[in-house]
Amino acid sequence: MLRGVGTVFEREVGQYFASPAAYLIAFALLLLTGLMFNSDLTFSVTQKAADPALIPSFLSFAMVFFAPLLTMRMLAEESREGTLELLLTAPVSDTAVVLGKFLSAWFYYSLLLLITLIYQVILAAITQPDLGHAICAYIGIWLYGGATLAVGLLFSSLTENQIVAAFLSMSALLLLWLSDLAGEIIANLDLARLIRQLSLQGHYTTSFAVGIVRAEDVAFYAGIMAVMLFITVRIVESHRWR
Amino acid sequence: MIEVHDLTKRYGSHLAVDAISFEAHPGEVVGLLGPNGAGKTTTMRILTGFMPPTGGTARIAGYDVMADSLEVRRRVGYLPERVPVYPDMTVSGYITFWAKLRGVTRPRAQVDTVLERVNLTDRRNTLIRNLSKGLRQRLGLAQALVHNPEVVILDEPTIGIDPQQVIEVRESVRELGKNHTVLFSTHILSEAEQVCDRVVIINKGRIIAQGTPQTLRAQLQPGVALYVEIGGLGKEAAARLLREIPGIESVERQGDGFAVRAGGDVRPALSDAVLHTGCRLLELRPVAMTLEDIFLDLVGREN
Ligand SMILES: Nc1ncnc2c1ncn2[C@@H]1O[C@H](COP(=O)(O)OP(=O)(O)OP(=O)(O)O)[C@@H](O)[C@H]1O
Ligand SMILES: [Mg+2]
Repeated sequence: MLRGVGTVFEREVGQYFASPAAYLIAFALLLLTGLMFNSDLTFSVTQKAADPALIPSFLSFAMVFFAPLLTMRMLAEESREGTLELLLTAPVSDTAVVLGKFLSAWFYYSLLLLITLIYQVILAAITQPDLGHAICAYIGIWLYGGATLAVGLLFSSLTENQIVAAFLSMSALLLLWLSDLAGEIIANLDLARLIRQLSLQGHYTTSFAVGIVRAEDVAFYAGIMAVMLFITVRIVESHRWR
Repeated sequence: MIEVHDLTKRYGSHLAVDAISFEAHPGEVVGLLGPNGAGKTTTMRILTGFMPPTGGTARIAGYDVMADSLEVRRRVGYLPERVPVYPDMTVSGYITFWAKLRGVTRPRAQVDTVLERVNLTDRRNTLIRNLSKGLRQRLGLAQALVHNPEVVILDEPTIGIDPQQVIEVRESVRELGKNHTVLFSTHILSEAEQVCDRVVIINKGRIIAQGTPQTLRAQLQPGVALYVEIGGLGKEAAARLLREIPGIESVERQGDGFAVRAGGDVRPALSDAVLHTGCRLLELRPVAMTLEDIFLDLVGREN
């Protein structure tokens, strides 16, 4: 099991570092967060204190688009190129293949997240930010990102076409993201609460983003990842029956 | 080494493989021969543990492909029909990946050995996207051999490459037979004849004949075939003359002469009859039926 996960993980991480697209995604992400940070810093001089959760909160929206881009290739390409047939005849379980791929995406995302920590360092050098608050927000967005990547991987397993995979997972993530807004405008309180309970955003904005780590939110993201990966494994398995 | 018993595979209502049984012994090169859609790829996919059969059993090295799938997969090297590659990887990176995934204990040494074996050592740092089709085929072969499997399964390995490379691949398949059990598929009959110790002919999912190329020919060639050319007699008259000779079953025009089939050796009777009319016997020779003829004959009869 471990050998399979490790080998697939290693290959996929190598693929990220060899792929211009992955660098482009990293560049775009860092450019956007850099601009955000810069303008927030300008504001903070005159109007309000700098927000320690600024970057993570921006990422909670950005991942709707970036997670699909990071995962769209992973299984769609394998099934298109026919390499999935070799993977599924290698002496490793289907779960190991899916897990290796997921972990490599999460790992690459974590690296990007680590780079954005630079903003916190800059902030710490010029003001006295609430470090605890920032750490909470980062833990939150790390888990949140994992969940969005798992959703992206699921859609990558559904089709041979990367673009279709990206489009479908962006749509799905956008719905999950918007359902949080829907929760805010629905009059029926119980229904609103339920919808917010199910939205990716809902478990971030009211807890991690304001500096609280709650077990239920951690469990929610872990659960999303587990469920998405479970379904992905089943879909990969179904290639054997086609 | 490979034991297949009543193996059946259905896609929905379509019967792709219909109760086939065959065996491959250690060190044997067995050819799966059949036209498009015969069920060759389907059979191989079952044997490699890619897909489960609908019925029957298949064992590799004593392990059932369903119950002990992982054990089977450890012992099988597989080259699918369309050589699957990761275009963005280097040659050695690609082979190392498969070596590690299949649990090779010293991947680096093994990768060097196998690249040497398929003659790709000087391309080890080339990106796969830049390899020609023939080189990709060799890469696919390297991938299938890197874990030194007991059984090697090759799905139409000579398709789409130039004649020179075809010869090379055939030679390497023969060579493989020395250390591995090889199952390979083809729709080219002369290829099966050249390369295989045993041939299994399938059509529409069913086995229509199997055996060594020699026994197949002997078994299936009904009687003796001769080529006869007669001088000094009109075509019609000559055909009539030949048909009247006892023992001759069929007479067909072929070029300037006739292809004659008979139950036994009719050469004495034939030459007597021809000379008796005062004509000349210009040519009389036995025609060995190739596997090709047998195959077309069999497939034709089936259809
Ligand atoms: N995934 C599938 N779903 C439905 N039918 C299939 C599938 N794969 C193969 N078939 C059908 O099963 C039959 C056998 O196919 P198979 O690919 O095993 O033939 P083959 O002998 O490999 O042919 P070829 O020489 O063209 O590669 C064909 O009629 C094919 O159309
Ligand atoms: Mg085929």
